[in-house]
Amino acid sequence: MACKKEKLYYKTSKLSFIFIKGIINVIAIIFILPVLLTVIKSAGHYRELLFDCFIFYPMFWNSLFYATVITIIQMAVIIPCAFGLSNGKFRGRKFIFFIYVILMMMPFQVTMLPNYIGLRELGILNTRTGIILPMVFSPFGLVVMHQYMKKINTSVIEAVRLETNSVITVIWKGVVPQVKTCIMAVFLFTFAECYNMLEQPMLFLKEDNLKTLPVFISQADKYEGGVLFPAAVIYMIPVFLLYLSLGKNLEGRTGAGNL
Amino acid sequence: MRNRWNRKCIICMLPGILGTLVFFVIPYIRMLYYSVIDNQYRRNFTGLSNYIKTIKNSYFILALKNSLLLILAGVTVLVIFSVVLSLFLYFGNINGRSAFILPMLLPTAAISVIWREIFKDAVTALPVYLLFWWKNTGICIILLTASFAAMDKEVFEAAAVDGVGSIRKHIYITIPMNIPVIIFTTLLSIVNSFRIFKESCLFYSSNYPPDCSYTLQYYMNNHFYKLDYQVLSSAAVLLSVFIILIIIFCFKLQKKYQF
Repeated sequence: MACKKEKLYYKTSKLSFIFIKGIINVIAIIFILPVLLTVIKSAGHYRELLFDCFIFYPMFWNSLFYATVITIIQMAVIIPCAFGLSNGKFRGRKFIFFIYVILMMMPFQVTMLPNYIGLRELGILNTRTGIILPMVFSPFGLVVMHQYMKKINTSVIEAVRLETNSVITVIWKGVVPQVKTCIMAVFLFTFAECYNMLEQPMLFLKEDNLKTLPVFISQADKYEGGVLFPAAVIYMIPVFLLYLSLGKNLEGRTGAGNL
Repeated sequence: MRNRWNRKCIICMLPGILGTLVFFVIPYIRMLYYSVIDNQYRRNFTGLSNYIKTIKNSYFILALKNSLLLILAGVTVLVIFSVVLSLFLYFGNINGRSAFILPMLLPTAAISVIWREIFKDAVTALPVYLLFWWKNTGICIILLTASFAAMDKEVFEAAAVDGVGSIRKHIYITIPMNIPVIIFTTLLSIVNSFRIFKESCLFYSSNYPPDCSYTLQYYMNNHFYKLDYQVLSSAAVLLSVFIILIIIFCFKLQKKYQF
């Protein structure tokens, strides 16, 4: 009797499970639908974009250039920084981290005037450097990396320290192999974030040939609607490829769950 | 020995800290100063009059109302939706995460093109809400499933012995055990609701959207264009204080529920 009951329970739950699976698949399709529609709509307009709309090329390359350069420099800055913050034992560590968390949470509209003031004082408004530098020091990557590094195996670090005196070797041989997943995940996030930049080029740049693709798309009324669809598709491709190659690192513990 | 090591750790942190100081912290302090003077040239101390002017401004009130509505309605729906979704995705072992994660990485500008096409005649703020949900489900799912994966599964076996059904199991065990992460997800979603400006701005492709979507970010951006730094800095300071209060509240709440 008991056995029969259990079987029945299993059966109904299996049916409802198939039902739920169906619903989730439908939701997933709805989530992908806007992307598919963009691709479908873009058909037939590529010639207009690629042969008549020359402003598209520099803006597309700018987007790629900024995103790549910022992400690479940021990695070089935050890996040692997160390492120092999670391994050093000195006073004020928690306070520094708290400041970073707060900065991470601030919307761009709060930091835009500070950024602008900083750039103006350094005299690099309206230059490529002026777009790159503030983004390099954006706190998101550091916070995630620090959370991840807190949990790594310190005995490996101690072992490497016995062999060498240089802190760079310690980071390179003792830390980086352990946090590879996190580095890949942060790389993906930071790239996507920088690639998506709209406000910074809009506010800190004057010349069109330094601006990024979102600015091009935001001035939609200047161009005919059809041109924007292929631009959007081409714009999506680099992030999509990056996601295909690095996306698996987003599985498992990415770190920032508990601060 | 320990001391020298600590010094090396601090040196590792220097580049990152220095950049953050130059572009974020020090200019923020200057912004605090800007918010209590009447004008950059005369620099008379005016106390809180800029703040009072900001709070009384009818556009500021409208913007604040819309931003709060987005937090109350948008974030609540988002968090409930993603908790339910990640329960099914993780415990049902359903594939399809990519469909939810990809929207978070794809550049908004590319998607806004199709969004404008679909919601051409929208009179409410619904398209912006949809964009917000579409964009932010991914990060919530990543955080939540990572936390589910880290759970101790023995509790479930104990519950199964007691004959607890699968839905009740999650309501009484999984959700209470993951409250800290759910709180963090909520916090992050609130913060992201302040970040929705880019999406909204690209959707309306103008700095003056209809009243229903006029959020704080528009208010601040437009004052930046007008070079009205005093009003902008007092609004930015108010917003940052508000966000810091939310962060502290969430962290206190998280501590309370920590196991």
